[in-house]
Amino acid sequence: MTRKRALSNHARALLGALLDAGGRWSHGYELASLTGIQSGTLYPLLIRLEAQGYLEAEWQQPAAGGRPPRHAYRLTTAGQRLARGEAIAGADAGAGWSKREPARS
Amino acid sequence: MSRLSPRLASRLLIAASNLLPNHLSPWARAMERELAEIEDDRSALLFAAGCLRAICGLAIAERLGSPRAAIRRLPFPPPSTWRISAMKLVPTRPRTLALVCGAGAVGLGMAYMAAAGAPSRYLIVNLAALILGASLWLALGRAAGTGPRQPGAMILALAATLVLTAFFGMAADGATRWVSVGPLNVQVSLVVLPVMILLYSREPQGIGTAGMGAAALALALQPDRAMAGVLAAGLIALLLARPGRLPLVAAGSAVAAFAWTMIVPNTLPASPYVDRILFTAFDIHPLAGLAVVAGAAALAAPALAALRGGTDERPALIAFGACWAAVVAAAAFGNNPTPLVGYGGSAILGYLLSGALLPGGAVPAAGRKRSGARAAGGDRADPGSSELSVPNLA
Repeated sequence: MTRKRALSNHARALLGALLDAGGRWSHGYELASLTGIQSGTLYPLLIRLEAQGYLEAEWQQPAAGGRPPRHAYRLTTAGQRLARGEAIAGADAGAGWSKREPARS
Repeated sequence: MSRLSPRLASRLLIAASNLLPNHLSPWARAMERELAEIEDDRSALLFAAGCLRAICGLAIAERLGSPRAAIRRLPFPPPSTWRISAMKLVPTRPRTLALVCGAGAVGLGMAYMAAAGAPSRYLIVNLAALILGASLWLALGRAAGTGPRQPGAMILALAATLVLTAFFGMAADGATRWVSVGPLNVQVSLVVLPVMILLYSREPQGIGTAGMGAAALALALQPDRAMAGVLAAGLIALLLARPGRLPLVAAGSAVAAFAWTMIVPNTLPASPYVDRILFTAFDIHPLAGLAVVAGAAALAAPALAALRGGTDERPALIAFGACWAAVVAAAAFGNNPTPLVGYGGSAILGYLLSGALLPGGAVPAAGRKRSGARAAGGDRADPGSSELSVPNLA
């Protein structure tokens, strides 16, 4: 599948945070805190990335008993390729994009 | 600190998840469960507010088009797709157009108020009313397939609220039109009267006609010249579109009530950011004035569908257009609230609720074409729920 449009700063920040996590699963609030993206923007982004095959999502049972399952996310192989490509493109363009830089709204 | 607020926010998210189609509702559940993991109350509330915005955005986008388009529009809406959607709305989707016009008018009004230096509370109230109205619009849309089962009884019940307001409502400068809801004063007639007119336009019956007569009496008692005029305009338009004895009786009672209110002096002073802003907005900036006028003019736009709508749909569309054109005219000619673009949630709720009753807006669920849903995480679905799945956009 191909992307036809440039990614937003929010999308790039999210991809950066997920790439930084490697194969580890991340949760919604953790991603929001890491990237500075508000939840109202974060979840539509996650939904879109998952729908396009860049993101894996699954329900996970917390280690502590008695708590409900949480939804967790990590990049697919295609997502990792996309995130690395965006990181390289950002560096080439001198945009100063960093996976740790909070996104501006 | 008490965990009451996050718990309430959690309940709200669960309720809002009902607005989403089945294939997206697991995402709302994911948000709600994430909320439970946030220990700080303030952070939890901010997180919940964002999630609520996301759910409402997804739900509205879903209503405006296919599930595929709903995902594609967020958060990068391609402008070309909006133009295409808007063109499609005009002839076939007056109900959806009402939501778009209402939201647009509120947005333009907020821009005006911000430029005019209105208290931020005014903007928040209008935004909250828009969110509430849009939620009700969506909720009504789910039951809009067959229409209300007892429109006459509903009209009568709504008329009773007007009568009760006339006797027990809040009074100011000789008029009794409001009820107090927390810190807000709601003008009941602005909320219920457009809904009553739309309900009546579907099928004028004896009980409904009695309800319209009771409403006319209540408006004469309050007294409310503007809304009596609105009732008369809506019912006369309906009479022209659907001639009959009962619509004639209803229109006659409305005209009598309007004539009575014309005799009674109207001593209400103009309120800033509410009344007469169709003119005063131009004093702030020509663009602010244009925003207010454009927002007000857009309110009757859904009625344009009557030009192409079927014979059965035309009376409701014409009554809707006449009703809201009359509200705007009342604002232009006197110290009456300027709907949606001015401060006040009553008109916002009334517009969206009456817009929800317009014909031809809801896409039947069975008729929606779903693309192949794909489970995220394969077999690792939530044990207590259905699998998380969204359309494949590849």
